[in-house]
Amino acid sequence: MDTRYVILVLNGLTQGAIFFVLGSGLTLAFGLMRIVNMSHGAFYLLGGYLGLATFRLTGSWTVAVVAAGLSIALLGLLLERGMLARVREGGDLSQTLLTIALSMIIADVALAIWGGHSLSIRSPAAISMPVTIFGITYPGFRYVLMAISVLIALLLWLILYRTRFGIAVRASVDDREIVSALGVRIDTVYSLMFMLSAFLGGVAGVLGGTYLQLSPGEDTTILTYSLVVVIVGGLGSLMGAVVSSLILGQILSFSLAYAPQMSMFLVFVPMAIVLAVRPEGLFGRRV
Amino acid sequence: MTRSVVQRDTLRGAKLIGAVAVVVALVTLPAYGDQYTLTTFIRTIYFGFLALSVGFLLGQGGMISLTQTAFFGISGYVVGLLGAERGVPFPIPELAGLALVAVTAFLFGLIVMRTHGIVLLMLTLALGQICWSFARQNTSVLHGWAGIRGIQPPSVLGLDLTQNATFYWMSLVIFGLGLLLLWRLVESPFGLALNGIRESPRRMSALGYPVFWLRVTAFVIAALYAGVGGILAAWSSGIVTPTALQLSRTIWILLIVILGGARYFWGPVLGAVIAVWLDVIISQLTPRYNTVIGIVFVVVILVAPNGILGVWERISAKRRRFREVAENEHAEALSTAPKARRRLSRAEED
Repeated sequence: MDTRYVILVLNGLTQGAIFFVLGSGLTLAFGLMRIVNMSHGAFYLLGGYLGLATFRLTGSWTVAVVAAGLSIALLGLLLERGMLARVREGGDLSQTLLTIALSMIIADVALAIWGGHSLSIRSPAAISMPVTIFGITYPGFRYVLMAISVLIALLLWLILYRTRFGIAVRASVDDREIVSALGVRIDTVYSLMFMLSAFLGGVAGVLGGTYLQLSPGEDTTILTYSLVVVIVGGLGSLMGAVVSSLILGQILSFSLAYAPQMSMFLVFVPMAIVLAVRPEGLFGRRV
Repeated sequence: MTRSVVQRDTLRGAKLIGAVAVVVALVTLPAYGDQYTLTTFIRTIYFGFLALSVGFLLGQGGMISLTQTAFFGISGYVVGLLGAERGVPFPIPELAGLALVAVTAFLFGLIVMRTHGIVLLMLTLALGQICWSFARQNTSVLHGWAGIRGIQPPSVLGLDLTQNATFYWMSLVIFGLGLLLLWRLVESPFGLALNGIRESPRRMSALGYPVFWLRVTAFVIAALYAGVGGILAAWSSGIVTPTALQLSRTIWILLIVILGGARYFWGPVLGAVIAVWLDVIISQLTPRYNTVIGIVFVVVILVAPNGILGVWERISAKRRRFREVAENEHAEALSTAPKARRRLSRAEED
């Protein structure tokens, strides 16, 4: 096989890895809280910028990833407690509208601080040397990205299916009132889930900011990609996020190579097909 | 009792006088307003069409759509591509633009109109973003970021629409017609069915209404309103770029509608007037325009989810209740003749 195709597949896997980190947070929060966090793209962008600032300060990429994740998680906690919880009575739509407004503010503040030029985080020297496997040379850093994504998927699975928090989450998805009557603090579960989701958004920002670049407007593009991941995979499904981000990564990678003028347009095709055949998404349940 | 009838008549009279005054002020605007004011009003009108499009879906049908700016852009692009670049005479580019808008809206509607609420919001956002990125990425026909320049308004019936005042009057007439048509539509059985779907799609479906097709129809109608706005915008500004389809624009329009009061017929119009002028003022004061708008958005959602007209209604309802209580006490003290009272209240109902 032509090495070019292998490279494209690998690019797609890298892209898919970032999509998964983004989409998994969004889909899990939706599954539990029934809100779509429209500021997820802004979380990504802000996380990337914060990671960049930390990287410039400390010189450590790992510290940058953790710092960005944690600060976005903190921001998520503030937003959830301070605003979303207040309008929960008003229904899921007003919560979603609030997140739209917040995304506008976050993106504009980021523009004020970091300016309109695209910035990029340098990948750490220790892991950025090319790696040759089966005669194909590919940047080692991208393998690291894929590994991080797999690790996150495993951790999420463990959290959801092997911890008390996970049990509470899965039970609340089915019947939030009974769970709360059984003595689970549902508000805490919500806050923790929103923090986890925001954390993943922030981490994805550093990963994406290292692989690609950070610039104003990137937040809405990223939001669209993550929405497509969530829609195709099925709202609230972890497995769906895995499969759909793998598919989207490949489509994006190949269309960038062969039809660069329509790469985003082509991402839409699987979404249309899935919606026509299975409106609830590949692994979703009917809502 | 009789006093309240009189009061209501004066209220109606006051409303009528107010409406006439507004219309006169709008029509005579070119006589006393400068060019900048005129252009801003033209902006208000074409964004008003877009706001009506979003407001109709949200207020009458309970559907939040974030695709409407895409339709605004599509018709503008067609006018630019056919009219400005290939010299196709009026009204073919405009009609072609609206036709493409209708077809696109129909196809999109087939995909998204089975869903409700947040899922609908997500899907329409994704569709809108896809149109935007297509406009941005396609350099061979749509010229990417640069867009299409040099669009001119046509000359119709010997009117010189390149004149700001003439263009303003024409936009005003078209907007008036659009409002009238929408008003008829809202009051029609179709509009009422749409209200029913907003309250309970399942019940309407059980009553035998073709819920899906009614929603698709509403989606196409709303898209046409956005399309008309897009044509006016292209004529007026002379340029179409991917910015016309941008998500921030979509969100801004949504804010306009919610700010004015999505549930009310005049809500989107009021919102558009306020937001366009706010736009002018804020842009002069600070480059952090989006932050201010975002904060306004947050405050509106937290404090007044039904918009300005919702607040207005709440206040006047409180006043009316207050007055009614006072009148009832007054009436009870005065009269114990139930027959006369009944006759009076019947007259009042008529």
